[in-house]
Amino acid sequence: MNAALGHSGVLLSLAASVLGVVVIAYGLARHRLDVARTGRVYAGLVLVGAVVATVAMERALITHDFSLAFVAANNSRSTPLLYSITGMWSALAGSILLWGLILAGYVVAMTWRFRRQSTDPLVAWATLVTLVVAAFFFGLMAGPADPFRTVAGTVPANGLGPNVLLQDNALVAFHPPILYLGFVGFTIPFAFAMASLVTGRIGEGWQLATRRWTLFAWAFLTVGIVLGAWWSYQVLGWGGFWAWDPVENASFLPWLCATAYLHSVLVQERRGLLRVWNLSLVIATFSLTILGTFLTRSGVIESVHAFSDSDIGPLLLGFFGAVLATGVGLIAWRGDRLRSPGGIDSMLSREGAFLVNNLLFVAFAFVVLLGTVFPLLYEAFEGQQVTVGAPYFNAMTLPIGLALLLLMSIGPALPWRKTTANTLRDRLVLPAWVGALVVVGCVAGGVRGLGPLVAFGLGGFAAAANARQLVLSARGARRSGAGAWRGFVGRANGGMVVHLGVVVIAVALAAATSFGHRSEVTLRPGQVISSAGHRITFLGLTQVRTPARTATEALVLVDGRGPLRPAVSQYGPNTEAVGTPAIDSGLEDDVYLTVDALPARAGGPVTIGVTVQPLVIWLWGGGLLLVLGSALAAVPGKRRRPTDPVSAPVPAAAAAGDDSSGSGDAEGPSVVVVPDARRDVEPGGPGGPGEPGADEHVPEPVPAGSP
Amino acid sequence: MTSALVDGTSPGAEVHRRHTAKWVAGVALVVGAALVALLATRPPQTATEVDTPLVGQTAPAIGGSTLGGGSFDLAALRGRWVVVNFFASWCPPCQQEQPDLVAFAYAHRTPGDAVLVGVVFDDSDSTARAFMRSTGASWPAVFDPGGQIALDYGVRGPPETFLVSPDGIVVAHFDGPMTEASLDYWLARAKGTG
Amino acid sequence: MSDPAHRPSRPWRPWVPWVPWVALAIVVGVALGLGASRGGTAPTPTQRADAIDAVIRCPSCEGISVADSSASTAVAIRGAVAARVRAGESDAQIYAFLVSRYGPGILLRPPVHGWTEWVWVVPPAALAMAAAGLAVVLLRRRRRRRRRPVPVSAEDRALVERALWERSRHLGQPDAMRVR
Repeated sequence: MNAALGHSGVLLSLAASVLGVVVIAYGLARHRLDVARTGRVYAGLVLVGAVVATVAMERALITHDFSLAFVAANNSRSTPLLYSITGMWSALAGSILLWGLILAGYVVAMTWRFRRQSTDPLVAWATLVTLVVAAFFFGLMAGPADPFRTVAGTVPANGLGPNVLLQDNALVAFHPPILYLGFVGFTIPFAFAMASLVTGRIGEGWQLATRRWTLFAWAFLTVGIVLGAWWSYQVLGWGGFWAWDPVENASFLPWLCATAYLHSVLVQERRGLLRVWNLSLVIATFSLTILGTFLTRSGVIESVHAFSDSDIGPLLLGFFGAVLATGVGLIAWRGDRLRSPGGIDSMLSREGAFLVNNLLFVAFAFVVLLGTVFPLLYEAFEGQQVTVGAPYFNAMTLPIGLALLLLMSIGPALPWRKTTANTLRDRLVLPAWVGALVVVGCVAGGVRGLGPLVAFGLGGFAAAANARQLVLSARGARRSGAGAWRGFVGRANGGMVVHLGVVVIAVALAAATSFGHRSEVTLRPGQVISSAGHRITFLGLTQVRTPARTATEALVLVDGRGPLRPAVSQYGPNTEAVGTPAIDSGLEDDVYLTVDALPARAGGPVTIGVTVQPLVIWLWGGGLLLVLGSALAAVPGKRRRPTDPVSAPVPAAAAAGDDSSGSGDAEGPSVVVVPDARRDVEPGGPGGPGEPGADEHVPEPVPAGSP
Repeated sequence: MTSALVDGTSPGAEVHRRHTAKWVAGVALVVGAALVALLATRPPQTATEVDTPLVGQTAPAIGGSTLGGGSFDLAALRGRWVVVNFFASWCPPCQQEQPDLVAFAYAHRTPGDAVLVGVVFDDSDSTARAFMRSTGASWPAVFDPGGQIALDYGVRGPPETFLVSPDGIVVAHFDGPMTEASLDYWLARAKGTG
Repeated sequence: MSDPAHRPSRPWRPWVPWVPWVALAIVVGVALGLGASRGGTAPTPTQRADAIDAVIRCPSCEGISVADSSASTAVAIRGAVAARVRAGESDAQIYAFLVSRYGPGILLRPPVHGWTEWVWVVPPAALAMAAAGLAVVLLRRRRRRRRRPVPVSAEDRALVERALWERSRHLGQPDAMRVR
């Protein structure tokens, strides 16, 4: 019953997406745009099918319906309800179903959001592209990755249960869906990019329209990655949170391109430059989500020869190749229309900074991709296996990270068009001194090591520079009557908060990786030992037996606090025992405990691994700042009329008094400012007058009436 | 307002720039195609043989007490073909290959024929002993306290099997569960060339 | 373009605003010089063993080092490394021993000689090429612009001069004209 329901849902979605593609294509070919707009109906049907399939799968998991092969492999009678629900995305076929569900939701949201422009060929093309992607994923589910395949033979009495590592932490309920909300969300900007290339309408309209979608997807991807790091820290038992393994790199690559895109698109909005960059970045982001899914799902990296065993691998790879070829081909075809009307006048400008930013992020992504794929390349040519591990990635990405920190300090202080070194010198002297004092303070406090010191200094510089922007912004907002709080919301100001979050994370990374300390201590019950400045007391062992878990726990006090319970746990019979760590988090450092060896006989000594890493909690705090900044960036600014000038307002002639609404004096000898020729001004332009960061080359307005 | 070109480009430069976009697109396409081709053409492996540096070298020593209580030394088996099998009771592929190993051992039970030797990998003596007994395995299984033998042989995880020639050279290294047929095949092949 | 209202408002020498930056450079240089060295003493055997452990891959794990793992293979390798460090073997000898058993894939850092050197060389080379390409493009554009200056008509000039003068009259402060 569940299988039938699920199959019908998947088939409905597949049929609706294929039919939708055909209908929209017909409508566009014949210029029958009223036919093309019925694409919305098909998108809705895709969502209906996806919801039906998801409900069927969850029902099967919750009721332990072992007639489905997927449920038999990933669920058991003793699995708690939460992990039954999350079992849907704990293996390949179910996670494709989650991808399809989220994609269907995004497509429906997109068609609803642009319902008033549904007869616009560009929107029709975008819907068509999203339906093609949906058809691919539902096609995977109808064929090789069928989540509703029934068990051949007799139905087993009990299932195998989910992977043990997916059962001991509630984060499994959040991390994959949030990560997918990020990955799948980039389909929409990608669809609009393809649509604009195909229709030849490379204006700024579609980028403004999809800007919030990109920010939304980026925010979720960022949160997903941070949650993933937190999860592996809490569960995997080695005290680390980022191992540069292929699965992590697969999620990081699209994030790098998306971050570059979010910055670079500002230049296109403002000056119409970097168009090819932006289109390439959007296409690269989406392609990398597909490549990432391929790399992790086909097993190509872990075992080079598992590729030919997996059915889904070749299809994902083929889709990646098709997306890449289509995107690059369209850019080459439309190359003539992509020329910008102007150029970058000077590298010492915000445009120049964003261009360098693009280069650095692309270099970062290139290093990560090369490191991930290099073992395959080497094995293909030399026949031997080689490992590219954390030492390589850390060594290669450290200089790029430091360069990005430096750019993050200078960039917000740079005006558009061009500036002089004197301007920068005056604006950045205070933040630079903050950075210098941080370095001095660290050295005085006993911190040693060139890499971490430079990172801390640059972190201080960047934090002060971005905080300065926020202060100026708030001051300007208050002065122009909008209220100081306006200086903290809006795209640019939210961006400053996001940068602050990045600085916190960078500082925490530098501290945790440079000054971590791992040791093993062997303790008898009641013994106290000191390790890396903390007092570790072992109280004794206890046995824990719940329906889901059998474990031997070690009760440990850290500096008298606790007891913490690192353990060796078994989830379900006949499964291997895994170590489950316990963490004592503090503002200064984290004490991470694992049980390395249980005593050979009762009452004997236990070996506990103690890892002390400073500032780990700052990582998660920085992640919160990133979320906060993204939320602030999404707040719309004051509504601006299309004829409002972009620069700060110049007061009108003395009789008229100070006009703070921003509209310049049209007649009379005031400075002529040319408003941005935007097609549709979204609410949420550069924050109105509360954004001196954009306009600092114009002197601040002096209220009329002063002599 | 004049309509001067801001950056003063000439029409000739426009044509040049359009070609640049096509060049970049072309390069990207070639690199992308190469990547896809590379990822798509990984050949399937025959059996589960791996090529590690130990192949062709003298087999490292194996010595110690066995599960049955006796002692064992690999050097004493010079002159016979030896199949060294690293196993553990908790690993599913080991459980999977055990019946095939039992059949192989029975088929080669005549003295002087190929002999099977097990090495316990990261397992307690009681569970390993129970595993061997319950599967009807009668060949010597050596303890490896501290994992030194596993380290000497470069074993990443069970099951891994090594074929050692009568003069003590490692002829082949297999990763994953073996079958009786593949063992016979590789033994015959090694005898043919060796 | 001469503006009668424009005159420098601060009577300082042009190098004065650079003083805080020079002082900053000195302060940071001294601090980094002091802080960069982690003590000049030779590493202890434990430190050497830890450093080696950090770049050896745990053979039965998913890509973490033997320093981070508590798997049996990792423990065995850590023990072997510590024994060999005590016996006085060099880092290269210890790496060679492990590679002779597990193959080159046991090292987390791909070796710098042989074909694996490409993975170290390609990213910096690519970045240098990209930066060079960017510099070439920008220089070429600037040279072209200098050869062909933007034609500005006299009427535009008059318009801008009048606007600036009017503004200075409204604002009443001659040095409000100075662009920060």
